[in-house]
Amino acid sequence: MLNGRLDKYLYICKIRMIRSFTYKFEVYGNILMQSIIMITTAFFWKALFKNETFENGVTADSMMTYTVMSAALSVMFTTGVERRIQQSVEKGSIATDMMRPVNVFGIFLAEDIGNLIALIVQNLFPILLIGSLLIKVPVIVSLSAIPMFVGSLFLSMAINWLLAAIFGMWAFTAISMDALFQVKKHLIRLLSGSIIPIWFFPAWLSDILNLLPFVYIYQLPLDIYIGSATNDEICRRMLIQLVWVLVLATLYYLLSKKVLKKVMVQGG
Amino acid sequence: MIQVKNLYKEYCVAQKGKGLGGTVKALFKNEKKIIKAVNGLDFHVGSGEIVGFIGPNGSGKSTTIKMMTGILTPTSGEVLIDGRDITKQRKEVVNDIGVVFGQRTQLNWDLRLEESFELLRHIYRIDKKEYNETLAVMDSILGIHELLNKPVRQMSLGQRVKGDLAAAMLHSPKVLFLDEPTIGLDVGSKFALRKFIKEINAIRGTTVILTTHDLGDIQELCERLIIINNGVMMEDGNLSEIVERIAPYRTLVVEYYDSEVPSHPKAEIISVSDNIVRYKFMKSEITAAALISDLSATKPIKDVGIEEAGIDEIIKIAYTTKTTDGN
Ligand SMILES: Nc1ncnc2c1ncn2[C@@H]1O[C@H](COP(=O)(O)OP(=O)(O)OP(=O)(O)O)[C@@H](O)[C@H]1O
Ligand SMILES: [Mg+2]
Repeated sequence: MLNGRLDKYLYICKIRMIRSFTYKFEVYGNILMQSIIMITTAFFWKALFKNETFENGVTADSMMTYTVMSAALSVMFTTGVERRIQQSVEKGSIATDMMRPVNVFGIFLAEDIGNLIALIVQNLFPILLIGSLLIKVPVIVSLSAIPMFVGSLFLSMAINWLLAAIFGMWAFTAISMDALFQVKKHLIRLLSGSIIPIWFFPAWLSDILNLLPFVYIYQLPLDIYIGSATNDEICRRMLIQLVWVLVLATLYYLLSKKVLKKVMVQGG
Repeated sequence: MIQVKNLYKEYCVAQKGKGLGGTVKALFKNEKKIIKAVNGLDFHVGSGEIVGFIGPNGSGKSTTIKMMTGILTPTSGEVLIDGRDITKQRKEVVNDIGVVFGQRTQLNWDLRLEESFELLRHIYRIDKKEYNETLAVMDSILGIHELLNKPVRQMSLGQRVKGDLAAAMLHSPKVLFLDEPTIGLDVGSKFALRKFIKEINAIRGTTVILTTHDLGDIQELCERLIIINNGVMMEDGNLSEIVERIAPYRTLVVEYYDSEVPSHPKAEIISVSDNIVRYKFMKSEITAAALISDLSATKPIKDVGIEEAGIDEIIKIAYTTKTTDGN
């Protein structure tokens, strides 16, 4: 019993993790998809760069690292919270869960964390391995970048999860949520510099994107990883990242109150 | 134990007009329609009671149960469980209540029954020893032992309801709410379920509130009945009291040797077929014994029998009388 209050969430996390480990088919499919995207992007960058160096010191070589790490990160940004919100609203379990001494969204978060642990073992390592063998071993720019990379990765995951939760709550009034979820997933990858780093976008566009939360999901940790930004710049952007976490957390909190209230007035 | 005060629930539903025109119009203007599901309920349930909450379809039973369990917010009025308001102090009260909806499970489809139980053990922070004891009691009444390893999605309806019942009792709630627990169950499962309700009530002193359309459930379980219709209370009392009040008569069936039948000033003949006559009489006016002896004094009697007003008859009467507005 680590802590009485957390104990139930740890247990939920555990059973979700065990269950995720048994879904083999999904795992292979995901690894295959990610590998194809990864390899295609790598070829694209190789053809584009042809041993030239980009303005901010980015080489074809570091773009390979970027590509492999981006594929690896996309595994870590997998969330189930949107779908769980949808299901529990449809089945009405969101209402019955409320007569239990447990936070419904806490359950969803614990499940996502459990799933994440399984994903790291089952998907992340194979993808890193495939990337290392076929493209390049993705080495971090310097050892001193590790703490910053890890720190910003955590903030990235927070932003990603909060966005998913907010989106899931907002979408539960929409008709076809599945389509919306797909659109959101790909939009995030595009706007977050996962596929094309935003320094390739026109200045006006990248200025706008820098204000949105998306770039703080993929681009920032990846920039830290390949060393394509100065320390000053990284600090400044991590601060913005933190601000986004706080803003989204507040929005999430208000929205979840509203959704639960609505469920309780309308009847599950 | 449970205090329901002046409880109202209105559902607000978007009204869509008929046909294409109506659909298009609904896009621009949301016509709202108010459904008054519960209309000022007031009652009190004492500790250790078994109360049958009955009424025709759509009378507001499930709505009331949902409000009593804190799943649904009342439009007005309040529900107190052990003196605490369910909407305002939900976090404290939830430990004292358990709920089973016969129509839908609260168990996790993907988990084995035992995993679902373990999950609840963690959620309610039930001590392992106490958990094992409760599980043993549940097993002795419901025989759920062989179900523990089964995923819920593979269970039959009867098995699933048993699982749900045991799950609702794991944290030893003081009050158990059951919304149509016997729906769709076979005779054997119904019997097991009634036995379960009686035993937890006897052994643990659990207060039970159940809704049902099954007359057997009512007859066997409910010391007290609350009958509602259109969200309004129609009757509240124990079964025999209600029978006394709304059907204070019995029927005497007499078989004679020929078709010439005598009448009696205090009994009304309701049917004659062959040599068998049915006399309806008020219990307050004459006893069955007096009626039989009066009748046998006029004519020899071959056979007699007495019929109480059937429970279904009682309920039918209760549902139809005093109805202020139609559905
Ligand atoms: N979520 C909801 N939104 C709108 N109206 C609802 C909702 N739930 C119930 N109602 C309406 O409220 C009324 C009471 O419904 P309720 O489910 O409480 O009836 P019930 O007594 O449980 O009926 P049954 O015996 O069929 O289960 C009905 O007219 C029903 O259509
Ligand atoms: Mg109902």
